Amino acid sequence: MVVGLLMLGGGAAAGVFGSLLGLGGGILIVPLLTLGFGLPLREAVGVSLVCVIMTSSAAAGVYLERHVANLRLGMSLELFTAVGALVGGSIAFLLDERLLALLFAGLLIYVAISMARPRPAPASEIGDAASADPAAAVETARHAAADRAAAAATDDGLAGVASDLQASATGFAATLSGPGYLVHGFGRGIVGATGAGVVSALLGVGGGIIKVPLMHLGMGVPLKVATATSNLMIGITAAASAVIYLIRGEIDPYVAGPTAIGVFVGAMVGSRLAHRIDARYLRWLFIIVLAYTAVQMLVRALG
Amino acid sequence: MSGPRAVGGTDIVDLDRLIGRLLVWVTYAAVTLLVIGVLLMILDGISPLAGGPPLDPGTLVAGLIALEPAAFLWLGLLAVIATPVSRVIVAGVSFARRGDRTLAAISFGIIVVIIIGVVTALVSEA
Repeated sequence: MVVGLLMLGGGAAAGVFGSLLGLGGGILIVPLLTLGFGLPLREAVGVSLVCVIMTSSAAAGVYLERHVANLRLGMSLELFTAVGALVGGSIAFLLDERLLALLFAGLLIYVAISMARPRPAPASEIGDAASADPAAAVETARHAAADRAAAAATDDGLAGVASDLQASATGFAATLSGPGYLVHGFGRGIVGATGAGVVSALLGVGGGIIKVPLMHLGMGVPLKVATATSNLMIGITAAASAVIYLIRGEIDPYVAGPTAIGVFVGAMVGSRLAHRIDARYLRWLFIIVLAYTAVQMLVRALG
Repeated sequence: MSGPRAVGGTDIVDLDRLIGRLLVWVTYAAVTLLVIGVLLMILDGISPLAGGPPLDPGTLVAGLIALEPAAFLWLGLLAVIATPVSRVIVAGVSFARRGDRTLAAISFGIIVVIIIGVVTALVSEA
């Protein structure tokens, strides 16, 4: 019973931290279960995938009802995250657990470094073009993208940039655009989404750490929409590999139950605390926790 | 392929709302099943590290009637995994009814990928 309560509490802590810092709980659940409770890494990954699906489904539902997530874009990229998850879920059973631990340590270090970097001021999320006429908004965004491309070409002397960006901002990608922004670089999205799926399935994380920058920086999606759409995509990405872990007996209901409830409750509490807590100090605490966990994972991998 | 009309139009707004509600309610249903399962675990004095029984769909109903913790936990976990899949099916059917062949085909493709994953895992386990 004590172990069950500890698992519930650990899951809740992972959910609170993840919610406050905009990360899925997966990055903390796998170390919690492996280093804290001595579970095999693959079993921890399977449980983590279930937790990730649960928190993402609830959050994505709210984002969709508020019309923040872009369903069309999310579903188009999901096809490729699902393919990546299928590949990653299959590879995971061929790799040595120590290699997986090494990969996880690498992911922890990457996330810690990303969080330690100073963040640029958030750009305007959804501009005034988010009017009642979406077609007009798309047209406005298309002109804006073309203008930016032309300016870049003038500034840098790269005449090809303008025409490339204009060309990439048409066709299928353009039909995925939302009010006030124009989606481009769908080819880049395919590659990144597939990679995110592989990472998610191998390490039991949602993959938002790849998807959000991919959509925001690589495809022209506003940060807020990219975050919400990534949350939507995490569900199917994790589900595609979770079924593989489930069938191969790597999800233990007695571990998954308490942990998933803990993460779910923690994420709900975290979202309510988010406005009251100064995330700067929390971020540094989290970076220290990540660095410590990375060292422990490295010891496990090399030991 | 749909044109700009579908981008943020009222039909997409309705679909967003429908799928949003589906995700939230199925998640709450799954959480309820998991909470019942964990409470039964505590009442039965089962440690999470005791090693749970494998999934056996044939005994789920009997397990629920017998108030076995594992049965509630497995049903909850299956509901969790099925939530995003059901969202893709609902969206795919909706896109198909609206004549958006590209998004309907993408939805179908996602389901096919998941089925391939299931079949591959079953073959590996056999």
